[in-house]
This record gives sequence, C-alpha cells and structure tokens, in this order.
Amino acid sequence: MPAFFFYFFSALTILAALLVVLNRDAVNSAMCMIVSLAGVAALFVLLQAYFLAVLQIVVYAGAVMVLFLFIIMLLDPKTRRIPVSEMNMVVGLAALVMLALGAFWLARQYPAVADLPQIPELPTSQAPMGYATAAKTFGFGLFTRYLLPFEVAGFLLLAAMVGVIVLSKRTPADSHDDPAKPPRA
Amino acid sequence: MQPGLQAYLTVAGFLFAIGFAGVLLRKNTLVIFMCLELMLTASTLALVAISRFYNSMDGALFVFFIITVAAAEVAVGLAIIVALYRRRHTVQVDELNYLKH
Amino acid sequence: MSTMLTAILLLPLGSAVLIALFLRRRGGLAAALSTTVGFIIMALSLNVLLTWNGQDVHVSQEWLRFGAYAFSMGFYFNHQTALMLLVVSFVASWIQLFSVGYMHDDEAKGRFFGGLSIFMFSILGIVLADNLVMLFVFWELVGFSSYMLIAHYYKTDFANMASKKAFIVNRVGDFGFLLGIVWCWSHYGTVSLIDLHTKLVGHPELLGTHHAIGISLLLMCGFVGKSAQFPLQVWLTDAMAGPTPVSALIHAATMVAAGIYFLARVFFLLSPFTLHWIMWSGAAMTAFAGLCALGQTDIKKTLAYSTLSHLGYMACAVGLGYPELAMFHLAMHACFKATLFLGSGSVIYACHHEQDIYKMGGLLKKMPLTGITFLLASLANCAIPLFSGGYSKDSIITAAFLKGHAEGSVYFGVYVLVLFGALCTALYTGRLFSVVFLGKARSEEASHAHESSPFMTIPLVVLGLLSLGGGWAVYGWTWGGHFTGLLPSSCVVVFAEAFNNLHEAVEKSGAANILEAVNIAIAVAGLVVAYLFYGRAQTDALAAKSPGAFHVLERHGWFDDIYDWYVAQVQQRVADIVGAVDLLLFKFTFGWGSGGLAGLTGSVLRRFQTGSIHSYVYWFLAGVILFWALSVG
Repeated sequence: MPAFFFYFFSALTILAALLVVLNRDAVNSAMCMIVSLAGVAALFVLLQAYFLAVLQIVVYAGAVMVLFLFIIMLLDPKTRRIPVSEMNMVVGLAALVMLALGAFWLARQYPAVADLPQIPELPTSQAPMGYATAAKTFGFGLFTRYLLPFEVAGFLLLAAMVGVIVLSKRTPADSHDDPAKPPRA
Repeated sequence: MQPGLQAYLTVAGFLFAIGFAGVLLRKNTLVIFMCLELMLTASTLALVAISRFYNSMDGALFVFFIITVAAAEVAVGLAIIVALYRRRHTVQVDELNYLKH
Repeated sequence: MSTMLTAILLLPLGSAVLIALFLRRRGGLAAALSTTVGFIIMALSLNVLLTWNGQDVHVSQEWLRFGAYAFSMGFYFNHQTALMLLVVSFVASWIQLFSVGYMHDDEAKGRFFGGLSIFMFSILGIVLADNLVMLFVFWELVGFSSYMLIAHYYKTDFANMASKKAFIVNRVGDFGFLLGIVWCWSHYGTVSLIDLHTKLVGHPELLGTHHAIGISLLLMCGFVGKSAQFPLQVWLTDAMAGPTPVSALIHAATMVAAGIYFLARVFFLLSPFTLHWIMWSGAAMTAFAGLCALGQTDIKKTLAYSTLSHLGYMACAVGLGYPELAMFHLAMHACFKATLFLGSGSVIYACHHEQDIYKMGGLLKKMPLTGITFLLASLANCAIPLFSGGYSKDSIITAAFLKGHAEGSVYFGVYVLVLFGALCTALYTGRLFSVVFLGKARSEEASHAHESSPFMTIPLVVLGLLSLGGGWAVYGWTWGGHFTGLLPSSCVVVFAEAFNNLHEAVEKSGAANILEAVNIAIAVAGLVVAYLFYGRAQTDALAAKSPGAFHVLERHGWFDDIYDWYVAQVQQRVADIVGAVDLLLFKFTFGWGSGGLAGLTGSVLRRFQTGSIHSYVYWFLAGVILFWALSVG
C-alpha cells in the first residue's frame, strides 16, 4: 500500500513541477506549484514526518504561494503571459536531461535500504536525537542542540520584515510615472 | 517494491533538475522565482528522506530552518520585484538588463 | 665628559626643534632661546676644555647595521677637536648675540634663529664626529642649514638663486666625497677615523698606492666644495645674499673652515700627490681671490673674496704638510674675519642697508667702536706682527719658503704666490678701511650714521680683542691654571708646538730676519699705497684709471659666466635629451605596454557583464560543475 501511494504522489509532484516550468500564464504556474508542494507534503507523511508535512502545507503552500499569487495578480495581465525563450530551449532541455541523469546516478550512491526501521513516537533516552514522529521532538531539538540557529532565524525574520517595509515604500518618483510610457533608462 | 532511500532521492533529484531548467528557460521573473522555490523544496525532501532512513532528527530540524529562510527570502525577493516593476514596468528578464556594459 | 659633549651636541637641536614647533611667530622668544643656548654651549665647551686632561677621548655607539657594515655615531675628541670646538662655540655665541641686534626689525626672526640653531647642531656634529659617514651626514646638514639661511630673504630672486647655487655646487663636491668614503670603506674595510689612524700612521708606504691616491683625491672633492676652492669657488660670493650674521658665522668662520678641519682630521689618509695638488691650488686661490677683491664695490663681496684668499692659505698649509698651522690660521681667521663681517654688518645697518662702499665714508668718527674693532681686525687680516693673523699667516708664508729652500725651485713658486697674496690682502684691506671709515661721507645715509646698539657692539669688542691677542698663546704665557695667552691651554697645544718647531727650522736656515722683514714691508707698503691710491677718491680709482683690469677682477675672471654658459647650453641640452628618452621609454613600456594591456584585459572582461540573468545562471552552473569536479578529484 505505501508503495502505491509513493508512486502516485511522486508522479503528481513531478508532473506538476513540469507544468510549472512549461506554463505560459504565471497564475497557472502558481497553481501547479501549489499542487506540487501538496505532493511533497504527502511524501513527508509517507516518511512519518507529520509535523513537517503540516508545516509545508501551512507555511509553504499556504503563506508563501499565496504571497506569490498576490504579487502576480498585482502586475499587469499583459506582462503575465511571457512564453518560454526559444533560444534557450535546447540548452535548457539539455541541462534538464543532464541534471536528471546526474540526480539519478547520485541517488544510486546511497544504499538501497528497503526495510524502514521502526521509529518511536517519542525519542528514547538512549537516542535523544533519534528520529521520532511527535512534534515534541522538534521542540526538544530546537531548544537544546539548535538553540543558536533558532534565535538567529528569529533575527533573520526580523531583518526580512524590516527590509520588506523599506523596499516597498513608494518613492515620489514612482507616483509621477505613467505606466503607458516606456521605461526610463 | 518498497520505496527505498534511492527512490526518494531520485524524486528529489528530478524536482531539482526541473526547477533548474525552469530558471534557465523562463523569462518571467516571478516564474523564475517559483522555480527557485521548487529547488529548495527538492532539497527539503532529500533531507527528510535521509534523516528518516538514518534514524536521526538532524535532517528534519534543518528542514525547519530551510522553510523559515525560504519564507523570508520570498518576502524580500518579491518586494524587490515589485519595486523593480514600479521603475521599469516590466518583469521580463531580458528587458531588465541595465547592468549590461 | 662624553655626557657634556652629548649635551653640547644636542642642545642646539632641541632649540631648533622648539623654535620650529612653537616659536616661528614669536621671533623675540626664538632669538632669546637660541642665543641663550649658544652661550650655554660656550660655557659647557669652556668647561670641557678647561677640565680636559689631554688624552684622546673616543666613545662610539652602533646606530644601524646593514649586514657587514655598521653605521655608528660617536665622538672623537683630540687636540684638533678641542681647538675647533672652542672656535665654533665661542664665535657662534657672540654672532648670535650680534644677530639679536642686527635682525631686530626683521619679520622672520623665528625662522632665522631656528636656522642658526640647526646650523650649530650640524657644525658641532662635524667637529665631534668619529667616523666618515657620520661626518658626511652632518656635512650635508650643514649644507642644508647654509641653504636655508642664505635664502632668508626668499622674496628676492637673488637670494633664492644664490642659495640654490650654494647647495648645488656643494653637492657636486659631496658626490666626490661620497665616492671617496665608499672607496675608503671598500679598500680599508672601515670608515672609523680611529681605525684608519691605527692602520695608516707609521706606514707611509701605504699612501703611495693608487687606492690611497684615488681616495684622497675624492675626499678632497668634498673639501673643495665646502671650502670653495678651485673649481667650485663660485658659490661663496653669491652666498653673501644672506644676512650679514649668516655670512659671518657660516661663510667666514665655521662652515667653510669645516673643510680645512676635515683635511686636518684625515691628514694621515692623504697621499703626497693629493697634498701637492692642494698646495698649488690653495696658493693660486690666495693670489687670485686677493686680486678679485680689488674689483668689488660691495663690502660683503670684498670680504667674501678675502675669505677665499685665506682659505687658500689654509689649504696651502695643509698641502705643505703642516695641518696644525692650518688649524691655527683657521682659529685666528675665524676671530678676525668674524669681526670684519660683523663690523660690516654694523656699518650696513647704520647706513640703512647700503652695501656699496662708495656710498659710505668717514664712519670712523661717527661709529668709533665699530671703526676701531674693524681696524684691529684689518691689521690682523694683513698679518701685522703682534696681531693674531700675523702669527698664523706669517708661519704659512715661512713654511712655503722653507719648502722652497729645502726641496727646490719649483716650490719657490708657492712662496711667490702666497707673498703676492699677502700684498693683495694689504691692498684690498687698506682700500676697504680707507674708503669706508676715513675721508668724508659720500652719501646722505653715511653722514647720518651713528653707533649701533650694544647688542652689536659688544660682540664686536670681544671678537676684536681676540683678533688682536689671539695669537699671543704661542709665547706660552700661562695663567689662571688653564689659560695660555687668551685661549684655553688644551687648545693651544695643537699649533704652539708646530709654530715653535717651524721657527726653530727657520732660525737654522738663517733667513728668519729677512723673511720677517719682507712680510712686514709688504703689509705696510700695501696699506699705505692703498690709502694713497684709493683713500680720497669718490669712485674706485682703479676703475677710473684702468677699467679693463677692473672689469676682469669684477667679473671674477668670468668663472661665473663660464659656468652659467656651461649649465645653460651644454648641461641643459643633455638633460633635455635624457628627459626625452625617459619619456619615450615610459610611454612605451607603461603607457602602451602595461597600460594598454590593462585596458585590453578590461575591455575583454567587460563583455562578461551581459545584464542578462540567464547568462549569469549559466555561469553559476559552470562554477558548480567546476567545484564538483575539483572536489571529486
């Protein structure tokens, strides 16, 4: 049973990703992206990383992609539809094939572990950082071993917030521009 | 056949390759940005898979941070794109070439 | 003792630094500081001289090390040092006091006294130096001080050009000097005077090698530059552009005499060939400069030629093999020439900065102190017996005669030249005194002249007395425990012995009385003839009677003009050619070469900035692949 789900969801993810790349309209691309992220979340569930799956849906597919959609829709409909560049097509597809082959080869370097070890719900005292499914493990790890990165991530978010506010301020020059005029050099 | 570690890593690899091709091929800045996010997602999938199969929490915790950073990066990046659009009135990458010699 | 010597050396440096940093605008304070330091140095020097036990003192401190060569600084104090220290410190202090009065109205007093202080430091360094490199360092410093002080009135073109001329001509000599020092180190392995002394004294055959001849000729170049001998004498007369105290201190008493002092110090290094050359050139200079002095109407220029003439005497003495007599004459000359220059300064100041002697006259009545001290110094200049100059100059003439007597007729030529020089000295001195001080005033300013302030007259009196009695030390009248004649005993040893030996030799040859008579006759005759010929006239009598001869003398034998022509036509052309080649070279190698290369690289690298994000992504991919390949191996 899990094998079927795996193949189904991985096919979904990869197909949706291809559609993201090949779609003409940016809004369609965003929608396909959401489907792809949902597929990845399902794969997380299959790996018993339940907390991360939910996090992926809520933060990534939810907040980040919604933000994307906001911005896409903010822009002029005419600018949304930009086709793929024909010149780069051959090079890009060649790169794609090569990268895919490379990924395949890389993946084969790892051992073909079939039997998944049994994982507890909560970490045991012998293996405190062992893989466990409860959300508590994240809390445990974040506040002991990864405390510093945690705090730094907080600072990072603060910096990002301040940056966004500064960047999105309207300058006096912007309001004088007529969108129909050609862009200034 | 049970999906092993190799299967998961292959999926992640394919996702990464597709994302990279998208960055190279698309001319819409926003779509390029989305393909970047796709690459990041691929790396999170790989991390979780390895973490699961080698019975360690480190990978999963790292994914936590990747998601955080990706969110921050998206916010700032989109703010830049919007500011750029306000000046240049385009999001087409080959029109945004003012750094050309 | 070495601490006191260090203090003597470093006090003027401290004074100069203080003046340079803080007192540039406070001229009065600068003058007071510099003069006080000068008198302190004089007191310390007298202390050193009176307490010295007569043994050579040598202290040395390694300063820098370059591989095998160590540059050290140190003192070498012997009898010559003692005499020179006395001369420098004594004369300099009184001249500083004189300057306080002379430069009273000057706006840049601070700069002037700073220059005097740095000069004191430099000359004391030369006096005390124990190795050739340290001597050279202070030699150059003295040249710099001279340059700075000559250019005191820098707003006039003449002063600027004169200071540059002085420095550059000195530099020409110093180039030879430096080569000599390098050769000396290469050949003898040391530049320390002590070590060279040990190596060479007692081995006269070492002085015959071509190394020794070359070294001594090159070292002589330094002397020729600094003491203005042939062919580099052209700078001294122009150096009169500086204020009179500078001319007195630097260009009469001390700096130009430093060359003679140097020759006396390294006498054991000089080969007989060089000494021969020095002797002839000195004798010729004596006669030539004496003649040229008759062609000048500027009081300071006359005295400058007089200095050149006396330097010729000192050089001749060294060349004859009597460095102690040269030092003796140096000391006496410092006294009376300083008096003459200071007297001329007093006269110039009184006549409102008028320097033409034919605009002065009758000043003896109006400025008695100046006049009498000038008279004393003039009589010493002419080598009248009993005056200081008489002893020293007469001994040199006598030595020349002895050499001619002993070694053959060609040396009588030297005797004739120096005797002729003595005649000229008497003539120009008589002319100077008669025209300036006797007769009637020739101009408005001269008739209103009055005696100068005590700042100026007291040094005149002190130095005048010394120019009268400085030479009495040879009689050996010791008093007060440590004084012989008017000088400290430790200094007198240098020349007293040589003087007495010389006179014994002359007595033996039987010609003593004739020589004495000839000298006195020439001096007196010269003075009288000068008074009769020049005394009453309104303008120069020689110029009136034979303008051609006067013109030759006035133009100094056209030496200056020849050099000017050479520099302007020949040297400038060479410099222009070299400059053009240099420009071409740089244009090729750097303008078109490396510059062009850089430009080419830049324009190639510029193409990488395409502005297209996609191309940047491709480069990124290429970089990742490269790193991956490198890491895999």
